Amino acid sequence: MVKQLLIKEGGETQTVKVLNRIKDLCGPHTSIEFIHDKTVKVSVKSECLRKVAEALQSEEDVYLRTMVASDEKLINDSIKLYYVFGLDREGVNVILEVKIPAALSKHYEIPSISDVVKACDWYELEAHDLMGVKFSGRFLKRLVLPDDWPEEIHPLKKDITTEEIKKLYQPQVREKALEVGAEEVALIPVGPYHPALHEPEYFELYIKEEKVVDARYVGFMVHRGIEKLGESMGYDQIPFLAERICGICGFVHSVSYTQAVEEALNIEVPEKTQYIRTIILELERIHSHLLWLGIAAHLLGYDTGFMYAWRIREKVMVLSELLTGSRKTYGINLVGGVRKDINKEKIEKTKQTLKEVWKDYKGFAEVLLNVPQVRRRLSGTGVLPGGEARAYSLVGPTARGSGLSRDVRKDYTYGAYHFVSFSIPTYSEGDNLARTLVRIDEVYESINIIEQLLDTIPSGSEIKVNSWEPQPMKLGLGNVEAPRGEVIHLVITGMYGPYRWRVRSPTYQNLQAVPTMLRGVDLADAPITIASIDPCFSCTDRAIKINIKTGKIERVPLIKLSVKGGS
Amino acid sequence: MVKFLKVLKASATVGTVTRRYPFESSLVTSEFRGLIEIDPVKCVGCGACVRICPPKALTIEVNEKETILKYFIGRCIFCWMCVQTCPQKAIKTTNKFELSVFNLKDVMRELVFRTVTCKVCGRAFTPVKLVVEINKRVGDLYMHTDIYVCPDCRQALTARRLLTKYLGRG
Repeated sequence: MVKQLLIKEGGETQTVKVLNRIKDLCGPHTSIEFIHDKTVKVSVKSECLRKVAEALQSEEDVYLRTMVASDEKLINDSIKLYYVFGLDREGVNVILEVKIPAALSKHYEIPSISDVVKACDWYELEAHDLMGVKFSGRFLKRLVLPDDWPEEIHPLKKDITTEEIKKLYQPQVREKALEVGAEEVALIPVGPYHPALHEPEYFELYIKEEKVVDARYVGFMVHRGIEKLGESMGYDQIPFLAERICGICGFVHSVSYTQAVEEALNIEVPEKTQYIRTIILELERIHSHLLWLGIAAHLLGYDTGFMYAWRIREKVMVLSELLTGSRKTYGINLVGGVRKDINKEKIEKTKQTLKEVWKDYKGFAEVLLNVPQVRRRLSGTGVLPGGEARAYSLVGPTARGSGLSRDVRKDYTYGAYHFVSFSIPTYSEGDNLARTLVRIDEVYESINIIEQLLDTIPSGSEIKVNSWEPQPMKLGLGNVEAPRGEVIHLVITGMYGPYRWRVRSPTYQNLQAVPTMLRGVDLADAPITIASIDPCFSCTDRAIKINIKTGKIERVPLIKLSVKGGS
Repeated sequence: MVKFLKVLKASATVGTVTRRYPFESSLVTSEFRGLIEIDPVKCVGCGACVRICPPKALTIEVNEKETILKYFIGRCIFCWMCVQTCPQKAIKTTNKFELSVFNLKDVMRELVFRTVTCKVCGRAFTPVKLVVEINKRVGDLYMHTDIYVCPDCRQALTARRLLTKYLGRG
């Protein structure tokens, strides 16, 4: 297949160059297999992994998209690691497959590549936690699992079921209550454990005078084991679970998942399905960006802007409900199609609403960018240089604010994006203003995309495939450009549901760069800097200030912290 | 410089947007997916909805006397997958969304069916209504007596019949 590609493409493409380089490094007998049009799987021995990773990282426009550990003991007696590298220019995924013999898995060590590929840091820690994979040449610590989790239990392994995990690990509330003679227990999560929103974040900011000198992040406090849960569910039930991964941009996850399954099983979905999915995805981007712009204004002390943005957003929410049946968690996506058609009447209504939104939004953007305090506090703060963004394999508006024009809608196109023309706003300053401007411009682009799609949407009523057959152990990738950056799902299929389902959200990739952004900013600018990558940051709404000299601890709400000079 | 003052104009044009719920018109559009209602007359208790339900809001329980189909609204995500799946079209859709109750029991709905006991082993295995419905749909194609035999016993019965047919002994 590689040979075919060589002949077909003629000249030296980047893919061919990279594959040849891998062959040079790992020997001529390396198995290279095109599993889909744009996905190559390369079997790499663990001793060659570092060399190959170095070679890939040194290439231009190549980045680590995700890494997946999969327990395939029952299938081929091994645990496998899949490192997915993306070649932006050609939209090709190179998957490095590293095999660990199951019998040796307890002692087998994979050389760590996190010093070469910075983005791999968390992936390795996570594989260590959940799958028990050992990495040499790095410090391994708990990332995902709680500190008191039993040492030898790795929840994503196939030999332990969800039920067993539930029995095994229960917070010891009842026992404690009985011990102290309490009659009733009221659990009140305090601190970073936000009761309502997922992805709580805990930042330790080290401060000298007013400047942040360093930052540390602790996360995964509400790791819900969705991947494990998904492995016990049917193909058509998971889109609904996937949609609940994120409280703001859930549809990206369900589309990512369905695309991954569709790629794995070679399901061709009707054109109209692609159109509908794309329209909803763009609607979601508009509401998500408006939400972010509003909260950014709020964090900068411009609450009028907050109200203004959210008023416009409301129109988009009602429109989403009209098109899907729900304001959020749309629930219209299934493997092989969508459940709700868009008819003529709805097209007209959508066009009309979008016109109103455009007009309103233009006014809002003009106002927001001309408020002196907003502009001043966004410019020059939280700078992330382009080189760092590249080194961390960043995605989405965070990368595009640092001059990297990475956008999977163009680079690894999906849905109906190839039917429309749109531009990718990119700013090279790398500060908070640049990231804000990227989002402001993207809303216009999204409205533009939806209008183009509504004009050319196919008129038929075919919105899903009639039937499809699952096949075991096929690998598929699905990616979507979420409002926060690229979401990528990897699915290895099973007979009734996925055998392994790996979700990688954009914040996973982007958060690792936040400490870099924070170094050197004023304490008051820390909240907006953390927020500038658009995490689900309502969770960081409280911070602790510790005076090292006196040891006094003071709890302040984040919003108060962001008042300049007032802390 | 004072461009941001345009916000005053925008604010004046729009006026108040907050609606006086619940005194004003409905908050949801015509397409809104809300609560489901199971028609006790049409439903035969086949359990197709239970199998598809993503959040497991619908569950089925078979005991000695009866089969109980339970709908727990607290778990429901209003996806209407059950509506799409139901072979009897027994699930009605609504756009109700005001679901707060004073009593936890009020968010549970239950449908109770009488159960058929297996002719051979005496185990309760399926709702009477389902058997009647199958009889109606399949008619003469199926041996009427077998329908009252539970799947396990039916397997044994069929095997014995085949043996008798081809080997001539029981």
